[in-house]
Amino acid sequence: MARMDVEKTIRDLKPLIGQVVPIRTMQETRPLEEFGDAFVAEVNVKSASKVIKALDAAFPKDPSLPLSHLRRFAKREILPPPLRAAIESQSAPLAAPAQTIFVLISPPLPDLTTLKTLLAPFAPAATNETLDETSNSDSPAPTINLHSTTIPLCPPFNITQAEAWTKSLWPVVFNPAAPRSTVAPPPQTLKRTQESIEPRAGYYISLARKVAEEAEQSGLGRGVGAVIVDPAIEEEITAAGYEVGYDNTTEWDEAVLAVAGDARYSRSEAGAPSQAQLHAGIVPNPASKTYNADVEGGPELHALMRAVDIVARWRREHDPLDDVPASTATADPLRPELEQPELSALESYFLYRHRPDTFTNIPNSSHSPSSPLKRKHEVPNPESDLAIDPSTDPSQSQLPYPPLPAPPPSTVILGDSSALATTPAGPRIRTRSQGGYLCTDLDVYISHEPCLCCSMGMLLSRFRSVTFPRRGRLETGGLSSEPVVTPVADELDPTVEAPASAVDGQDEKEYYGLHWRKELNWRALGFEFVEDDDVEVKSEAGMPVFHA
Amino acid sequence: MELKGNSMVAEGSRHGQFMKEALLMGEKALQSGETPVGCVLVHNDQIVGFGMNDTNRSMNGTRHAEFIAIAEMLQSYPKSELQSTDLYVTVEPCVMCASALKQYRIRSVYFGCANDRFGGTGGVLSLHSDPSIDPPYPVYGGLFKEEAIMLLRRFYIQENDKAPNPRPKKNRELNTSFQNGSKEAPPTW
Repeated sequence: MARMDVEKTIRDLKPLIGQVVPIRTMQETRPLEEFGDAFVAEVNVKSASKVIKALDAAFPKDPSLPLSHLRRFAKREILPPPLRAAIESQSAPLAAPAQTIFVLISPPLPDLTTLKTLLAPFAPAATNETLDETSNSDSPAPTINLHSTTIPLCPPFNITQAEAWTKSLWPVVFNPAAPRSTVAPPPQTLKRTQESIEPRAGYYISLARKVAEEAEQSGLGRGVGAVIVDPAIEEEITAAGYEVGYDNTTEWDEAVLAVAGDARYSRSEAGAPSQAQLHAGIVPNPASKTYNADVEGGPELHALMRAVDIVARWRREHDPLDDVPASTATADPLRPELEQPELSALESYFLYRHRPDTFTNIPNSSHSPSSPLKRKHEVPNPESDLAIDPSTDPSQSQLPYPPLPAPPPSTVILGDSSALATTPAGPRIRTRSQGGYLCTDLDVYISHEPCLCCSMGMLLSRFRSVTFPRRGRLETGGLSSEPVVTPVADELDPTVEAPASAVDGQDEKEYYGLHWRKELNWRALGFEFVEDDDVEVKSEAGMPVFHA
Repeated sequence: MELKGNSMVAEGSRHGQFMKEALLMGEKALQSGETPVGCVLVHNDQIVGFGMNDTNRSMNGTRHAEFIAIAEMLQSYPKSELQSTDLYVTVEPCVMCASALKQYRIRSVYFGCANDRFGGTGGVLSLHSDPSIDPPYPVYGGLFKEEAIMLLRRFYIQENDKAPNPRPKKNRELNTSFQNGSKEAPPTW
């Protein structure tokens, strides 16, 4: 496709009409019961650490249910009075209670018999007489009494709640450093981001579908496409629109940094022809009619992972690390570049085009320096003294792609400030020296719900948000957190076989809601694009289950 | 399941030999400024792929050791051979790699230390055994766990001048102790 054709294709794209809906987190879709059942057992105080070791070794914890707000032990005198009364109504306290302590066994609750057997060696002695080996052997074997109780499953919001629970249920610790906000995005952040992506999301998903179509029609992959967008550029475009007084949403594609299509059939393995070569000229690739793991390539060839790598590759070409010269880095036999196909027409167009000057030489009065989306590169990165001009870097001549001319130095006047700042009049992707780091603060739009591998790759790449059309939901997806009633892409054709799960409402699919998990170190905002005509859409009959 | 990494049996066993190769890859990663995670793929008792973390050099946060090793293997073997291939990796595979290994149909995974921040085979999620369109695979952890943790500790005591906002760590000392429950990986991993 020639450049003019690419530009016409982009101009002719019609945005999807619909709305952007946040994907709820796992904790939101499965609100924890505030309280749960637990057991309390009295054990010998001298065995306390052994008891913990034995319990932790025998019964796995549920990582999605951290109970670190609950004390693991309580002495008799600090048991909540109701619990203490219940316990003492079943078994009178020993004469020397100081020798015992109560341990909490919290959910997931183990089998009772197993638990009793496990704890038996740590049971308090039956009497308070000084024990020696001989007298102990004559007395009946001490047994463990398990007492049922109720515990709060969520950490307390404040110290008052902690004290109330401590008095009524079980001793609770309040940790102000463990806010419950990790279970869901802060509402203001979610709202602000949703408002920021809403005006152009329909265009980006439309472009992602065009990229998907290109991937499928090339025979190189399945019909999945991804689009990476810089919201800071969107904000600049919006600001420019205010300046000239018209809605320039139609210039949406200015903020697109890179696009990538699925390329799972492009790889040659063990020197044999790739699936694309085997079926050259036949599109879509016949391999896409079924799911055969042996010919599915790998997730690094999926659209989202390829888009991430295309951004990285651009940086490797234009912004080599100061301590790793590009020439030696690429020659390292221990770390070969992963085999990736040649860029498609759309991929190449978006990666290597320039920003027109009209968008960089605008007075930017509405762009407040305190804006949260203020581009980092407007402030020179003090961490870096890197100032490599790509056009003079000798390593550029070995690159498979023509080097870009050096970005012309340009200046913009920032509002009423007289300070001059540099903006990228050429490439859109921020180099490392401009503060660019992985895909930090970028948005990704994808034609289908990404698989678990790609969903985690999205988090590891530090995206701000991920958006896919609800119609592109997949059984193998890693982001959705609950079923929908509307059809999804890989459901069986209902005329052929009624999907029992949908009828019963007993969906067997695993949901992960990976975009925002409190257990993971990185989180992103997740959105679904719900098209206005989604209710009338039939699912794509005959489409096999696969990983996008 | 847990293997005892420091017993004479394991050190001399083939599992131990392969994990030592993975640790060597982790050492190479450390020397080149990468998060020190290394791995090898073993097919018919032969190492067919070496991998080390490559995220800093490649500027791609998804270039984990597992992907590098698989890429090397696929230069000589078709993907289907992964069904008779085992992975030895110094740190529990992350959620991304756990899913990738399942899509690649790895036969089994042996790892050193657990990864309670990103682990996908028991650390945070259990993708190796969750129902999916690909079959589950067995995972065995704990082989040379302490060696794997020491690699990570040696890395995280350094300052990360690649990060946008490096944190000063001048006063930190390398913790060489494995007493008192300090057997977990450093919390930053």
